[in-house]
Amino acid sequence: MYIILVYDINTKRGGKMLKLCRKYLNWIQNSVFEGELTNIQLENLKADANEIMQEGDSLIIFNNKSKKWLNKEIIGQEKSSINNFL
Amino acid sequence: MKKSFYLFNPGRLSRKDNTLKFVPVDENVNEGQARYLPIEQVANLYVFGSLDANSALYNFLGKNGIGVHFFDYYEHYTGSFYPKEYLQAGQLHVQQSLHYSDPMKRITLAQEFINVGAFNMLKNLKYYQNRNKNTAEEILIIEELIKQINHTTKVDELMGIEGNIRQVYYSAFNKIIPTFPFNGRERQPPTDPINALISFCNMICYTACLDMLYHTQLDPTISFLHEPGVRRYSLALDVAEIFKPILVDRLIFSLVNKKHIQVKHFRNEVNACLLKESGRKIVMKAWDDKLTDTIKHRKLGRHVSYKHLIKLECYKLSKHLMSIEQYQGFKTWW
Amino acid sequence: MTITPTIVSYLHLCHRKLWLHAHHLRMESTSELVAEGKLIGETTYPQRALKWQELDLGIAKIDFFDPKSNTIHEIKKSNKKSFAHNAQVKYYLYLLHKIGIAEPTAIIEYPKLRITKTVDWDTEEDQDLVESWINQADTIIKGTCPDRLQISKCKKCSYFDFCWSGE
Repeated sequence: MYIILVYDINTKRGGKMLKLCRKYLNWIQNSVFEGELTNIQLENLKADANEIMQEGDSLIIFNNKSKKWLNKEIIGQEKSSINNFL
Repeated sequence: MKKSFYLFNPGRLSRKDNTLKFVPVDENVNEGQARYLPIEQVANLYVFGSLDANSALYNFLGKNGIGVHFFDYYEHYTGSFYPKEYLQAGQLHVQQSLHYSDPMKRITLAQEFINVGAFNMLKNLKYYQNRNKNTAEEILIIEELIKQINHTTKVDELMGIEGNIRQVYYSAFNKIIPTFPFNGRERQPPTDPINALISFCNMICYTACLDMLYHTQLDPTISFLHEPGVRRYSLALDVAEIFKPILVDRLIFSLVNKKHIQVKHFRNEVNACLLKESGRKIVMKAWDDKLTDTIKHRKLGRHVSYKHLIKLECYKLSKHLMSIEQYQGFKTWW
Repeated sequence: MTITPTIVSYLHLCHRKLWLHAHHLRMESTSELVAEGKLIGETTYPQRALKWQELDLGIAKIDFFDPKSNTIHEIKKSNKKSFAHNAQVKYYLYLLHKIGIAEPTAIIEYPKLRITKTVDWDTEEDQDLVESWINQADTIIKGTCPDRLQISKCKKCSYFDFCWSGE
């Protein structure tokens, strides 16, 4: 499934969360990631995130069956491409 | 749904915080913005530019079962980093060797690869015959040649027929893609654009087959049609025989006919014609799209990608070797 | 051929799967369901590992064993194939009994469904039963690869593409 992930987390734990998300998804801008994951990968990601998070932290995951159903429009500067051609 | 990642830009790839970090470097050795590649999403890597990497990276890639394929400046495939096999089956391995050393068993499999490869070539010719390209003569000759396949008793003899089929098949390319003149296959080195395209795409097809073999218990070094040792992983060549007409040739026809690939994408060196980087990128992008493209599989009753079709072929081979089900190669039906 | 608890469970699911598994033609690493089962086991009771021990039986590893009450805990995702879970757990009990652990019991837990199920060991009844399974499994492994089940029963199996890819 296709995932958009955003988090709002205490800066003390921000670094850990960033590192975790980079393992699974493409960073697109501050605290925002996107990419294709299988169910089990997403479950693993959530389990790992739970270990990091504490009271007051928040993580939101939007998911869609396929990238096809998602329109993406970038206004201003694209912070990072998610292209697999580098 | 892991993806292939293609590294054209020179740079440094490293292991960082249990994932991959790529830092591009330009001609003046200035570092660009780092990009993290999510390890969970990486199926394999294709390296076209010069890559700076250390053993910690390769240990990490190996642990995650990620292969790396390398190409040099002349876009020749130079080799692969093939991680340690994680699936092993002793008895399958024994059977694979037995099927190679028993001439009867070997020729049966080799014939099937050629039969199905030729069938898929014919399909291509018939497709263009229906689109007002006069390939009738080539179709007839190939149909005659196919009849000889099952009468062969030796692999050399079979390879001879295969060579004849390919020669006739390639002679029809001038009718299918008239933009570029093509006077038959020249491998080392390719001397015209079509030969350059065929050489390049065949190599890519080989690496795709190798990637799929990695995720099965088959030993990629023991092959049936090709002599083991021709190339390190010769079973990938056997499997590619089936998919080259479906994936490579159709891709070339469409790239050339839609003018996505033009003369400007090639460069001529002494006695060689090569794809420029711009052309290589176009081909790789089209190839990547093709592999992830899906078709409805008749037996499985669901959509599967071309990449997965290659894996299914590996399953079928395993079943044949274990005497579970006779191998029947994948034939296109469209 | 050593009969593992996995093989005993496959004996109750699909003989072809049993045969393929025993011949090392394995799909587990690509299977979502198996991975998910593993995740449930790892994340549902993180504190449990401290209280109870892991018990290595050589041919199988029991994740949660309580040496005080001789109880093993087996965590499963869904109870749809509960007869196979039962058989697998019985086999664990058989192995425990064989190494001299008195009156072993097992608790199968389905945390997602909030159900638990107790399986006891009764030497008189169960010994012969389990040994007949071992013999059956052994015969299957020595034979040729068994036929497929009906396709409708295969849909969720990790071997689906392996078994049903033809032409």
